[in-house]
Amino acid sequence: MNNLTFGKRCSDQTHSPFPKIFRIMKMTTALLLVGLTFAYGSGKAQKVTLSLHNAKLEDAFKEITKQTKFKFLYNDNLIKKASRVNLNVENTPLQEVVSQLLVNYKLDYKIIDETITISSKAGVNTIENSTVSVAIDQSTVTGTIRNTAGQTLSGASILVKGSNAGTTTNAQGEYSIQAAANATLVIRYVGYQTQEISVNSRTTVNVTLNQIDNKLEEVSVVATGYQNIDRKLFTGATAKVSAADAERNGVPDISRMLEGQVAGVSVQNVSGTFGAAPKIRVRGATSLSGENKPLWVIDGIILEDIVNISNEALSTGDANTLIGSSVAGLNPDDIESFTILKDAAATAMYGARAMNGVVVVTTKKGRNTEGAPHVNYTGNFTTYLKPNYDQFDIMNSAEQMSVLLELDNKGFFNHSGVSRASTGGIFYKMYNKMYEYDEATGTYGLENTREAKLGFLERYAQANTDWFDVLFKHSLLQDHSVSITSGSAKSQTYVSTSFIHDSGQTMGDNVKRYTANLRNNMKFSDKFSAEILFNGSIRDQRAPGTLTRQSDPVYGKYSRDFDINPYSYSLNTSRLLTPYDENGNLEYFTRNYAPFNIINELNQNYLNLGNMDLKVQGGLRYKIIPQLTASVDAAYRYARTERQHYILENSNMASAFRAAGDATIADGNDFLYNDPDLPNSLPQVVLPEGGFYNTYLDNLKNYYFRSNLEYDNTFNVDHRLNLFGSFEIRHTDRQNSGYEGIGYQYKNGGLVNPNYRYFKKMIEAGDPYFGMGYEYDRFVAGMFRAAYAYKEKYSLNATTRLDGSNKLGESRVARWLPTWNVSGKWNIDQEDFFNEDNGIVSAVGIRGTYGLVASLGNANNSSAVFYNQIAYRPYEDEKETLTEISSLENSELTWEKLYEVNIGADLQLFNKIDVTADWYKRNIFDLIGSIRTSGIGGQFIKQANYADMKSTGFELTVAGSPIKRENGFNWRTQFNFGYNKNEVTRLDVNQNIWTLVRAEGAAVQGHSQRGLFSIVFDGLDPEYGYPTFIGTEGEKDTYLYLQSEDVDYLKYNGPVDPTFTGGFYNNFRYKNFGLTALFTFATGNYIRLQPSYASVYTDMESISKDMVNRWVMPGDEAFTSIPSLLDPFTMGYEVLRPNGTTVNAVYPYNAYNYSDQRIAKGDFIRLKQVQFSYSLPASFANKLKMRSAQIALVGNNIALLYSDKRLNGADPEFFNNGGVAMPVPRQYTFSLKVGF
Amino acid sequence: MKLYKYITLAFTGIVAFSSCNKYLDQSPDMRTQIDDIDKVAQLVGSAYPNYNYLAMAETVSDNVSDKGVGKGSLDDPYVSYYYWEDVEGDDNNTPTQYWNGVYAGIAAANQALEAIEENDFGPDVNPYKGEALVARAYGHFMLALFFAQPYNISGDNSSPGIPYVDKPETVALAQYSRETVKDTYDKIRADLEEGLALLQGGQWKVPKYHFTPAAANAFAARFYLFIGEYDKAIQAANNVFPSGDYTGKLRPITTTIQDYSLAQQLIELTKADKDYNLLITETYSVVQRNAPFQRYGYSQRLYNELFNMPVFDGTTMYSRGISYNSGQDYTIYMYNEYFYYTNVQAGIGFPYIMQPLFTADEALINRAEAYVQKGDFGKALADINQFLSVRVRNYNASTHNLTIEKATNSYGISDPKEALIEAVLRIKRAAFMSEGIRWMDIVRHKLTVKHLVLDANDSETEIELKPEDLRRVFQIPSEAKLAGVEQNPR
Repeated sequence: MNNLTFGKRCSDQTHSPFPKIFRIMKMTTALLLVGLTFAYGSGKAQKVTLSLHNAKLEDAFKEITKQTKFKFLYNDNLIKKASRVNLNVENTPLQEVVSQLLVNYKLDYKIIDETITISSKAGVNTIENSTVSVAIDQSTVTGTIRNTAGQTLSGASILVKGSNAGTTTNAQGEYSIQAAANATLVIRYVGYQTQEISVNSRTTVNVTLNQIDNKLEEVSVVATGYQNIDRKLFTGATAKVSAADAERNGVPDISRMLEGQVAGVSVQNVSGTFGAAPKIRVRGATSLSGENKPLWVIDGIILEDIVNISNEALSTGDANTLIGSSVAGLNPDDIESFTILKDAAATAMYGARAMNGVVVVTTKKGRNTEGAPHVNYTGNFTTYLKPNYDQFDIMNSAEQMSVLLELDNKGFFNHSGVSRASTGGIFYKMYNKMYEYDEATGTYGLENTREAKLGFLERYAQANTDWFDVLFKHSLLQDHSVSITSGSAKSQTYVSTSFIHDSGQTMGDNVKRYTANLRNNMKFSDKFSAEILFNGSIRDQRAPGTLTRQSDPVYGKYSRDFDINPYSYSLNTSRLLTPYDENGNLEYFTRNYAPFNIINELNQNYLNLGNMDLKVQGGLRYKIIPQLTASVDAAYRYARTERQHYILENSNMASAFRAAGDATIADGNDFLYNDPDLPNSLPQVVLPEGGFYNTYLDNLKNYYFRSNLEYDNTFNVDHRLNLFGSFEIRHTDRQNSGYEGIGYQYKNGGLVNPNYRYFKKMIEAGDPYFGMGYEYDRFVAGMFRAAYAYKEKYSLNATTRLDGSNKLGESRVARWLPTWNVSGKWNIDQEDFFNEDNGIVSAVGIRGTYGLVASLGNANNSSAVFYNQIAYRPYEDEKETLTEISSLENSELTWEKLYEVNIGADLQLFNKIDVTADWYKRNIFDLIGSIRTSGIGGQFIKQANYADMKSTGFELTVAGSPIKRENGFNWRTQFNFGYNKNEVTRLDVNQNIWTLVRAEGAAVQGHSQRGLFSIVFDGLDPEYGYPTFIGTEGEKDTYLYLQSEDVDYLKYNGPVDPTFTGGFYNNFRYKNFGLTALFTFATGNYIRLQPSYASVYTDMESISKDMVNRWVMPGDEAFTSIPSLLDPFTMGYEVLRPNGTTVNAVYPYNAYNYSDQRIAKGDFIRLKQVQFSYSLPASFANKLKMRSAQIALVGNNIALLYSDKRLNGADPEFFNNGGVAMPVPRQYTFSLKVGF
Repeated sequence: MKLYKYITLAFTGIVAFSSCNKYLDQSPDMRTQIDDIDKVAQLVGSAYPNYNYLAMAETVSDNVSDKGVGKGSLDDPYVSYYYWEDVEGDDNNTPTQYWNGVYAGIAAANQALEAIEENDFGPDVNPYKGEALVARAYGHFMLALFFAQPYNISGDNSSPGIPYVDKPETVALAQYSRETVKDTYDKIRADLEEGLALLQGGQWKVPKYHFTPAAANAFAARFYLFIGEYDKAIQAANNVFPSGDYTGKLRPITTTIQDYSLAQQLIELTKADKDYNLLITETYSVVQRNAPFQRYGYSQRLYNELFNMPVFDGTTMYSRGISYNSGQDYTIYMYNEYFYYTNVQAGIGFPYIMQPLFTADEALINRAEAYVQKGDFGKALADINQFLSVRVRNYNASTHNLTIEKATNSYGISDPKEALIEAVLRIKRAAFMSEGIRWMDIVRHKLTVKHLVLDANDSETEIELKPEDLRRVFQIPSEAKLAGVEQNPR
């Protein structure tokens, strides 16, 4: 699962030569001064080049294996005492080289099937105490050797321990050997851990070998993106997640693979829509206004997002959140591993971009397959579960009808009020029908009698429409991924391609994504190697048409015109409304004065997002001298995104422009036009024909170049020194443009015949029909890191870095920022006093660090910022270009920074359970945000470094394999949690009520980074049942000025972000069967419930079931806190403030939505994933000409095992804000993996 | 060989790093630099307040009254203004918003002046420098009007003024001092006089939205009236039009405008091509949307008082009695709300009104007042009567003209100077209804303001704002404390 952050000692594994050499290769090279020169060894005539000085014989074998892939098979004892060897050969045939090597040793060899078996020369007993003896009672033992993935291993060597008898496995991985019943077999295979297994009188001994390649890389090397640094020299807090462990079949976005995997990394799914990244926090938030999202580094290159969207903005549901995460372009199948850099020591190399942690992604590399192509296919077939009303507290149609009839009786729905409204449901329809006069029959559409009315309403009362069923689908998400690995010793290639087709959770969305990935590693000589990567993805996504969300701080509401998000529509639309009429045709109600039906609208108003993303990356490494390596890495990335908003002529959005109706409607409809040249005429239609075709482009060009110099040497055996210097330069241009295509006639083959008035209105209104802008990001940095280790006991690190960015503005002072870090590690178990045989603690080490990291805040006014703008004036001849001050100079502007101290301990218990604990304290300062100033300088709201924060945290990971039986039951488990608590210690700004009580919360000194506050509910009015509150003066009130800064009487609920998050992972394996379960949990945060109360309800929107318990008559206030339904007179005259003045009833009812009555705890325990897998037996797979095959059934996001009851089952992580945002669906996947 | 490599590497490093600053000089976005005369002129174009004082000045003055319980809305800030309470927040129509808007204009002027100082633009930049100086003076003058004690002509002016900002702010939270009223007015005068001299020859694409010499002189006429320098006031008013002749330059209230349709009137009064508009500015405001519908607003009672009763014996001024809700909610109906769509498709944007800051009408009546103050009653009456000629329906000079006798008799004031001042103030009150001018007169002449309060039975009580009342000075935004600026006493 999650691999721990400390160095296991290298010597605790096995004493066989192969793995050891692999593992400590680098060190061996340095210690023995073996200069090895490589040359091409062609496939047929195996040739070898060696330059050995005082090398061990086994090292020579090892090199030969590396160059030729021929394996050596021998008895340890044979060469254990062999003297060191010196040899210089170039491009010499293999046999000759082996002969030369062995000539002095009186050893003989045989070459069979690429295996070189070494034996002592017949009849010459050169080795003392040779124990070779002829065993009695030998029988034939057979079996198959496999790896953990179930693939058979051909060419593995099987040796009878203590004898010379040996064999190798055939192409099917099978072997047959003569061995005594009590003999022990030693099984070796390059790249795998050697295993000894006793025969125990069996005749069939099947063995599974564990791969050591990964293990080695995981344990002894840390990928920082800059360096793959020896674990011994690394002192920071990191966590590694291998993709195999974190795989989430059926979830195409790799950022979700981190869910529940790493202590201190929280992944909040604020939107489940493809492309909208989850809210990822590494060790909690560090900024009040910034993005707070970790830096993604893919194969050493920082991944830039196409548009910068703050984590907070992700929950708005705006269309650009779909391209908020560039990670969405990566194929999960291409990922090898994630390394999460957490503390300042780990992230120091990223200096002034490191404050929010770093996620280093390593993609798969080609392997040496001796030229044979290895093909892997993965296919996932997923289906969604529809949400249903049981999860929510929404009234059914009968309940709601009774509420509406009460409102009708109270006089809310009457003909004059309803029939000319901009929005209307069944009552609108009923009253208008009463006035539909049919001249032919002399009757009205509906008689104005009680019976007729009730008859009309009855159909709706019984409708009980299940909007989730209407709008959601059980559709298929399929993804296919093919990868091919092929390589030789000198060149290895990994190629992959994938295709996803998601038919969508709802009627309104679907996605196709294609990716291609090519990676080639080349070794030109032992000094010079190179790598090239090509990565491309194409996305084609459909989403419901949406506009940007607007905030209304006066009444305390967010609004979005024309919102048709299927999820929020289902939740917010009355179940009385019916999608189809009696005849099965679409039934329309009225929105924006125009006919509206959600099914029609989803078909007529939608977004198409096209995204193409290409990255080419190259790297060169050159060994100047063995200890000194120079390298360069460079990348070029080009991404284009086009968002096309299709608004067809029959959509409600286009029809609203044509809803002229009578004078009342014309005057009320904002989408009509008051021509200033025709002051005496009625507002006019500006879009008589067609709809809209709007396009938005977001393009990114990104260049990256880095040169590195690394010095690595060991002095006097015990002193290891590693110096690393790097210089990098980054160049990013972001271009965005938007174009409104007006009057596009979809029905008429794309004819465009717009009305001039539309443009006249636009021009007069100052709304340009297209726009284009650039953002330029320039960045340079220089970095130096020194690491020193003494023996295996102590290591020390120091890093310093200088960053420069143009983002702060023109000032040459603010743009530079130096950062630094020191850290150290002590491996206590290496000390002489440590008793290795204590039986409990098998390894223990402690780490510590202190340093400064930083982040760019979102302010760019280190010098005054001016933009040009057309003056907001009505007439063509009065407009002119003005230059506006967007921002005054802030000469004190600087980066957001934090000092961190981290103390960590790494333990290994019973040789199988790893425990990692980290404690940290962060002092975060110079945070940037909006402050209110005196206004005297000319800018009331400024961006400035205005706040400080502190945070502390604790992280714990316990992982291991408590049960591990060969060919039997295996249990691997990992439990992790992270606790992070922060507090704002300085804040030079006063927040107002509205910013504090809304769902996103806000910072207040003494509370958390984003705290949620509530208006204190003070009971229902005993006479009328409307809600009252503790007002800003501390007394009972009905009106709160939401922009007031008197926040003393608000109640602090708690942070918006969880303080405690974690995961629990279990993997059970028995023979070919596997079962995996992942639980995630979080607690400590508070959630604002959906605002569902209003002073008056329309006949369109859904009503909470809680309304059943509403205040009905005086006295009820003692039993309920659900406000009453007011009648129009009470609303107008009887909602009173303490001083006796009347107040609009909208205020108290909206305030109720933001009161302490509408809060829930965010705690949850979730069964995130269950996977049941079965690997086909190798014998069977082989018959199908496969190397391996596995099938799995996976359930994702299966169940919310625990959450606050007040949520009524709603997802505590999801902000339902409409637009393109959707909750993470429940889904079930059938997964197939085969290898050829 | 190796050494050579290292040297090359180090050298490359140094060269790379020294050129980094140049590399990082790239602007992060499409911002602009003030590096030529056009940019200076464009920047000075935004040196005008983007918010207005209409709601605040009108609602604290006696241009509003109580319509009665249950009539009209009770929205803030209107209610607070009516009861002369301090207004919370920085929403539209609040003092804080106006304060911020004016200082934002002043900042643009200061940035332009700094750019002029730092660059060598030559003499062609002078008119824009002049415009920046006058705009800076205007901004400070308007702030002093609302947020500081009035200037005492030949009296004590040592009470706190308002912070006079004459250079760009470069730190997040700069400190400022209010100094004294005298300091503030001295600086206004210095800027105004220096700027006025530079304006000649200025070329503006849309002159009416800039301090042209005519507009600057109209401002000077108002300013000198406040500090009691009447000769200069007269001179400035004379400079507005050639030879000081206002004939045909005044708002044709009783002729052309009277014949407009209502919709036309709403548009015409704030247009730039009218001679009577000397300086217009675009201001973000919902005042035309809200103010007429307030309980405390322009009521039928006020309409009757101003336009159905004689302003002096025999002469009644004219205004179209335009009202909503059957005579409940009166409006002058001159500020058309222009809605600036940020997105027509979504129907969202900003409400703006074009506010005439200076008109020929005000300059003329200011000249009349200056003549009265100087004792030149003949010229004063000539100006007053010229003014009345477009404000009295079916104007007839012989019956409608003001004379000293009419003034003294009508108001029962024997002193002709005082009687004429009274006449000027009454005429102005009616003539500039809903334009905020009345509050300027209330401040300058230290008039008592009376507000009527009706209870549920329509019985009346009166509340008063006496000349010495501290509430006459608007409270300085509480945020100003951050800059070390003290609040006004309460």
